[in-house]
Amino acid sequence: MNQNLIAEQKVLEEVRKAVSEGIDIDPARIEPESSLMKDLGAESLDFLDINYRLEQTFGIKMARRSVLDHMEELFGEETAVDSEGRLTEKAARILSMRYDGSGSVISAGMDMDDLPAMVTVGSIAEMVMNLLDTLPENCTGCGAQSWTLKEETLIECGSCGEPAAFTNGDDLIEAWLKQIQESKKIF
Amino acid sequence: MTVNAQENFFTDKTALVTGSSRGIGRAIALGFARAGSNVVVNHSKAEGGSKRKADEVCREIEARGRRALAVPADIGVKSSVNEMIEAVCDWSGRLDFLVLNAARAPFKPIEKLLEREIRQLVEINYMGNIFCIQKALRLLEAAEGKIIFISSLGSRFYNPSYPLGSMKAAMETVVRDCAQSLAPRRICVNAVCGGMVKTDSFKVLRQHMEEIEHIPDELCVSPDALADVVIFLCSPAARGICGQTIVVDNGLSNSLYRPAWGSKPEIRKRG
Repeated sequence: MNQNLIAEQKVLEEVRKAVSEGIDIDPARIEPESSLMKDLGAESLDFLDINYRLEQTFGIKMARRSVLDHMEELFGEETAVDSEGRLTEKAARILSMRYDGSGSVISAGMDMDDLPAMVTVGSIAEMVMNLLDTLPENCTGCGAQSWTLKEETLIECGSCGEPAAFTNGDDLIEAWLKQIQESKKIF
Repeated sequence: MTVNAQENFFTDKTALVTGSSRGIGRAIALGFARAGSNVVVNHSKAEGGSKRKADEVCREIEARGRRALAVPADIGVKSSVNEMIEAVCDWSGRLDFLVLNAARAPFKPIEKLLEREIRQLVEINYMGNIFCIQKALRLLEAAEGKIIFISSLGSRFYNPSYPLGSMKAAMETVVRDCAQSLAPRRICVNAVCGGMVKTDSFKVLRQHMEEIEHIPDELCVSPDALADVVIFLCSPAARGICGQTIVVDNGLSNSLYRPAWGSKPEIRKRG
């Protein structure tokens, strides 16, 4: 269900904080449209640090694997990336749908190593929001329907105190890909 | 000759440490500089973060009064390794210590690896090390040099989503093999097997092994502790050690019984 306990602005604020601490840069430099790699100088390992901080902050599990990884796991090797490490036409189509409105131009033949540069502060905030929106109707511990907020960012059951069990990032990507395949029959 | 008579043993010698722009490799590179050697700092990419970090390591080495050279090379590509060793030869004219530290691998269960990931795993973490050994042989032989491979406990214990462990195990066998085959050429080969080292890679590990956070600090080991053993193995004091893998893990792998862990409720409940 779409949760309404943590506002989008709060999520963005926490993402900026995680990025600032993860890369050790001045928060004033961080804008929603900042590319972590191109504008803020992040490296691939910094992404993991930022994810970890966000997981601790919100009690969620970010995806361990990329959309491309999931695509190849579901639909076969080289369906997303060809033997030269370049994006296939099908993968470009799917990523364009996923990042629609982000301003990123994704096209077939792109080097897959260029994709991480497209990750922005705003796109991470959106990922966090998507995970928070998987908040179940009822507590998995006691069945109660009374979510409350602890320390401004952690959702827990108001009845038994159990932390909310969100869908994890990998399962969310997989479900999205299956849904796209079901409706568009891309592969 | 006694060890004391060789106290300047490392002075003006040359070490090449693969993958030394950060983490354990960086600590080893700085360890050689402290001991008195000049150091070639290998990093993966010619531009970007790894180059910036390699340049920083070089500056730290130079601040200790030693010479340093940063060389980008993808260890998994033979031509790239050849160019790296040629750069070492042009720069120094010698190579005394080759430390095979570079590693890169996906973190996922083996059954989920794609073919290209399996190839990369083998190319970078097995073939690449052998390319380095083959190409460096002439220089190492001239210097009666040492080869040290950096392994990890993943070579002998299961870790979730850690296919790199299988390559580490293969390389420990290569160490035993080369120690014998290269001994007649007076090249000594050993390995150092690190336990839980809190480098940048720890950020990856903790995403796949949640319980890792519960390993107490006293069972973790610092990059400098590994570097010290590498320097020891390269020194005359280790002249009797050949083809061995020395575990440096603060005792982590030595005991199954961990009363401190047992007191953690989140571990106890798993039975």
